[in-house]
This record gives sequence, C-alpha cells and structure tokens, in this order.
Amino acid sequence: MTLMDVLSYAAFALLLGTSITLLLSQNWRWSIIALALQYLGVFWLVMISWPVGLSVVKLVTGWMAGALIGASQPAEELQDRTFTGIPGMLFRLAVALIGLILAVTAAGRLNEWIPAARPVLLGALVLIGNGLLQLGMTTRPLRVVLGLLTVFAGFEILYSTVEQSVLVAGLLSIITLGLALLGSYLMAAPEMEAEE
Amino acid sequence: MSAPLLWILLPLVVAVALFFLRARGALVTILAAITCFVLAALALLVPVASLVEIGPIKIEIADTLVVLGRRLVLANGMRSFLALIYIMAGFWLLGSRVAQVSRLFVPFGLLMAALLVAAVAVQPFLYAALLIQMAVLVSAPMLAPPGTPFGQGVLRYLIFQSLAMPFILLAGWSLASIEGNPSNQALYTQAQVFLALGFAFWWAVFPFYTWIPLLTEQSHPYVAGFVVTMLSTVTLFFSLNYLDAFAWLRSSEQLFPALRLVGLIMVSTAGAWAAFQRNQARLMGYAAILETGFALMALSLGVGQGVSLFAQLFVPRIVALATWALALSISQRQAGFRGFQDVRGLLRRSPVVAVTWMLAYFSLGGLPLLAGFPVRLVLLETLASQSTGAALWALAGSLGYLIGGLRALALMAAGDDPWQVRESIPHIIMLVTGALVLFLIGVLPGLFLPGTTSLLDAFLHLR
Repeated sequence: MTLMDVLSYAAFALLLGTSITLLLSQNWRWSIIALALQYLGVFWLVMISWPVGLSVVKLVTGWMAGALIGASQPAEELQDRTFTGIPGMLFRLAVALIGLILAVTAAGRLNEWIPAARPVLLGALVLIGNGLLQLGMTTRPLRVVLGLLTVFAGFEILYSTVEQSVLVAGLLSIITLGLALLGSYLMAAPEMEAEE
Repeated sequence: MSAPLLWILLPLVVAVALFFLRARGALVTILAAITCFVLAALALLVPVASLVEIGPIKIEIADTLVVLGRRLVLANGMRSFLALIYIMAGFWLLGSRVAQVSRLFVPFGLLMAALLVAAVAVQPFLYAALLIQMAVLVSAPMLAPPGTPFGQGVLRYLIFQSLAMPFILLAGWSLASIEGNPSNQALYTQAQVFLALGFAFWWAVFPFYTWIPLLTEQSHPYVAGFVVTMLSTVTLFFSLNYLDAFAWLRSSEQLFPALRLVGLIMVSTAGAWAAFQRNQARLMGYAAILETGFALMALSLGVGQGVSLFAQLFVPRIVALATWALALSISQRQAGFRGFQDVRGLLRRSPVVAVTWMLAYFSLGGLPLLAGFPVRLVLLETLASQSTGAALWALAGSLGYLIGGLRALALMAAGDDPWQVRESIPHIIMLVTGALVLFLIGVLPGLFLPGTTSLLDAFLHLR
C-alpha cells in the first residue's frame, strides 16, 4: 500500500466521521466544523482524479457553503423533533453503521460501472448513504440542506472520476453555494417581514 | 444578435432588474408579463438563423451562443416551445396580481422560466441537469416567501427534485461512453438505469410524487401550480431530446412498456387518492400527477402517434392547471378555506370561481366539450387497441379522479346562501378567459391542437 493509498483511506475515514457527526450532532457549531472537514476529505479524494487547482474549488466552495450556513447561527434549527435523545442517537448510529456495511458491499459492484479507486468509491458511497439517511430522518430545513450537501459531495467525488470539465465543476460549485444560501434563507424566512 | 441572447439572457437580466424593483408590485408584474409576451410573439413571428428584413434594417438571429466553450442552441424548430413557455409564464405572472402572491413570485418566476429554457438549449444536454437544479433552487423562495411559515412540501420538493441531478449527469457520462464503445452492452443498461432514476425524480413518478399534493396544500396554490406545471412541462419536453438523439433508446424493447406501466400506476393511484381526498388544494396536486401519468402513457405509444399525442397534451394541461390554480387562490383568499367542507355553498357565494374551478377540474378529468377531452379520447382509443387492460386501468384512474370532482361539485352546490357575485372584475376577466380557452379547445380541437405538434419540430426523428 502506497502513501497515497494510506492518505486516501484516511480521507475516507474522515468522511465517515464527519458524515456521522452531521447525522448525530445537535450542536450547529459542531455540524459546521464537520461540514468544513468533510469538504477537506472531498478535496483529497477528488484530487486523485483532478488537478490540485481544480480540486481546491471543491474545498473553497464547501467552506464558503459552511460559512453561509454558519452566518445565520442556526442554533435551534438543528434540534431534531424526531429520533431525539440517547435512543434516537443510538438508532441513527446503528443505521449509519448499516449504511457503512452497505457501502463497503456495494463499492465492489459499483467499481464495475464506475472505474475508481476503492477509497474513492467508499468515501462517495458513505457520504451519499449518510446524506440520504439525514434526508430521510428529518423535518428541519437546516438538516435537509446539510443532507443534500452531503449527498452532492459524495456524488461529486464519484463524478470527478469520470468527468473533468471545468464548466461542470463551476456549475456544481454554484449549486453548492446556492443550496447553502437557500438553507440560510429557509431558516430565516418565517421570521422575515412579509412581502405582499 | 443570437436567439439564446434574446430568449435566455434578456429575461434573466430583466428578472434580476425586477427583483430590485419588486416593491412596485403592479409595475413589476406588467413589465414581466410584457417581456414574456414580446418574447413569445418574437418566437412565433421571427425565424431563427435566417435573414429578417424590417424596412431597411436587416437582422439575422443566430441560433447559437457559445458560453465557456459550451453552446446554447435555440434552433428554428424550438420556436413553438419558446412561445409555449413564455405565453404560459406571461399569463401566469400576469395573474399573480389577481392571485395576490408574494412579491418574490414575479422576478423569480421569470428567472425560473429563463433557466429552464437555458436547460433545454444547452449542448451537450447533460448540462441541462445543472440548469434545472438551479431553477429548482430559484423556485424555493417563491414557495416559501418571507414572513410565511412553510411546510414539509417545500423541503420534499427540494429533496426529490435535487436527487434527479446526479443521475442525469451520470446518465450523460454513460451515454457519452456508449458513443465511444457501442458494443459494450453493460453501458446501455447503465445508461438506462441512470436515466430512469433521474427522470423518475424529475417527473415525480410513483412513489416519488408525495411532495406534489403536499406542496399544493401547504404553499400558495397559484405559485405551487406554476412551479409544478413549469417543471413538468420542461422535463417532459426535455426527455424527448434523449429519445430523438439515441436510436437505441427509441428501439429499446423495455422503454415503452416501462413508460406505460409507470404512467398507469400514476394515473390509477392519483385517481384513487383523488376520489377520497378531503383537501381541495391537494386535489390539484393529484390532477398534476394524473396528467403526467397520461403524458407518459402517450409517450409509451411510441414514436409517431404517441409522441404527437404527447405534444398535444401540453396546452390543455397548462391552461386547466393555471385556471384551477387561480380559482383556488381566489377562493382561498376570500374564504380562507382548506378543508373539503369549506367549499360548501361556494357556487352561490362565488359562482364564477366555482364554475371555472369545476371546468378546469373536469377538463383535466377528460370530460367532453372541454380541452382535455379530444386528446384523452384518442389516447385511450389508441391505448385500448394495444392493451385493453391498460386502457381500463387508465379509465378507472380517471373515474376515481372524476368522483373527487363530483363530491366537490355536490358540496359547492349545497347550502342555501343567497346568490351573490363576490369576485372582482379582474378576477372575473382572468377566470372567464381561462374557462373560455378550455371550452374553445374542447369544442374546436381541430383548430387549436394540431398546431401544438409543431413543438416536435425540434426533433428530427420524432415527427
């Protein structure tokens, strides 16, 4: 195993940790930190297929998205109404672990369709899986946006192995930022002055 | 001058300008509607990629605009589609004053229309997924305007529509791989799976359609109607690109039966839910699902008659949904109702709203003399000639939907309130216009519907 492989698996471990943190955390600061670290892992895995200059776009975009969400200080927006307390947290953790097992199992088959290194596939699948879990278990706008950002981050890792277009990278960055901006808006909208 | 500059960038710029002017509600609405109608008129009158002489001035509108190495192409064959989108947007935006929606609706609605036109124009068309996703993001503030609590419908809409993008992008990569390696059968399966999943989310097929009734129930029905109709129109139309571009897809043995099955499930389940539905706004959501189901069934009849019927379904659907959304908005504004019982006596209290509402409802149900009937009749006849069972299921779905309408009608006609007309003159003008169009298309289908097949001019292999 080369140093690059070790670092790639480390990035996968980072993504696993951050996506589970996003799933479990009830504290918005921890969630934003996890999101920022998540994009660090995304940057690393994308860098396997893309030049550093282009990969860094993912990192910067992700951090900007985190900053946009963080700027609205969504303290109460992260508090779940469902799957609450320790039992809820244990349930989420258990489901995330099942998702990890599924990701490890599916990575082999997915390799037949999308030729990519194993840690890249694992990282992408874990993000997509945990993002979907987040989307399926919440009714809060912030969590929905974090879930979508996680799913998209996983997809972007996967897609970077097959597509290297600068325009696609740019448009995906716009969508990431747009989603974060929309998340901030949705958190604030009910309290804003009505425009009729 | 190029067509994308005119029909994409100009409305984008106008939409941004209108956003900053949004405090001037009436002016913004009129400017947006004028922009849309002028663009629609230009689409109908001015040929693209040929010389136009206006007195001494000679103008050639090129069909292509290159942006960052990718092309936006609006060829001559796209003019009918452009006219349809901008006429639809124009009337919908114009009605927003009457429907009393948030100020964000007009600029964001125009922005959404321009982005969706860009999605259809961009080449290679895998980029369309990204532009449609942007349109989805832009539409969310209209559905959740400032100062109004929003429900789960908006979030589910955002989730389900967003999940389409990755699959469509991966499908684009698979399709490009097929061109490089046409003998690899696994790539065909892969492309079909990605396309199926992507379009399943975009079209909101069963079981991904739960957000539609939620959205129409929890958001302003006029805005929800616009978003649902605009997105379904563009994604249905956009799907023809794939059918036109890939011969292997047109000759696929699985595609058309799969479309029929999906369409049947949508029609029958939407009909069943509509029969028992107790919320009027949700009924509109089921109507939209039913219509998408019928569109997929038309497409399942194959290239030729099927695609022609598919194109002819667009106009009746758009007019009926727009009219219904307006009637629903006005009655909700007047009575603040949500539940089924709240429409009791509506026919006496607001007869124009009630009658228009029912005309739109039954047009979508395919009742004779209304816009939905002529195409629906041919569709069911053709379907029956290929599969009696499928036609019966589709009829059963329609019947369920009509039962929901008859229940609503019975309630509207009930009560002994005195007869009165509470609608304002602008309400009456907008509603009666919608109802008249529905009626005229219904009684004179030969005059209106054959022209709608010109929507297919953009597709060389589908006409």
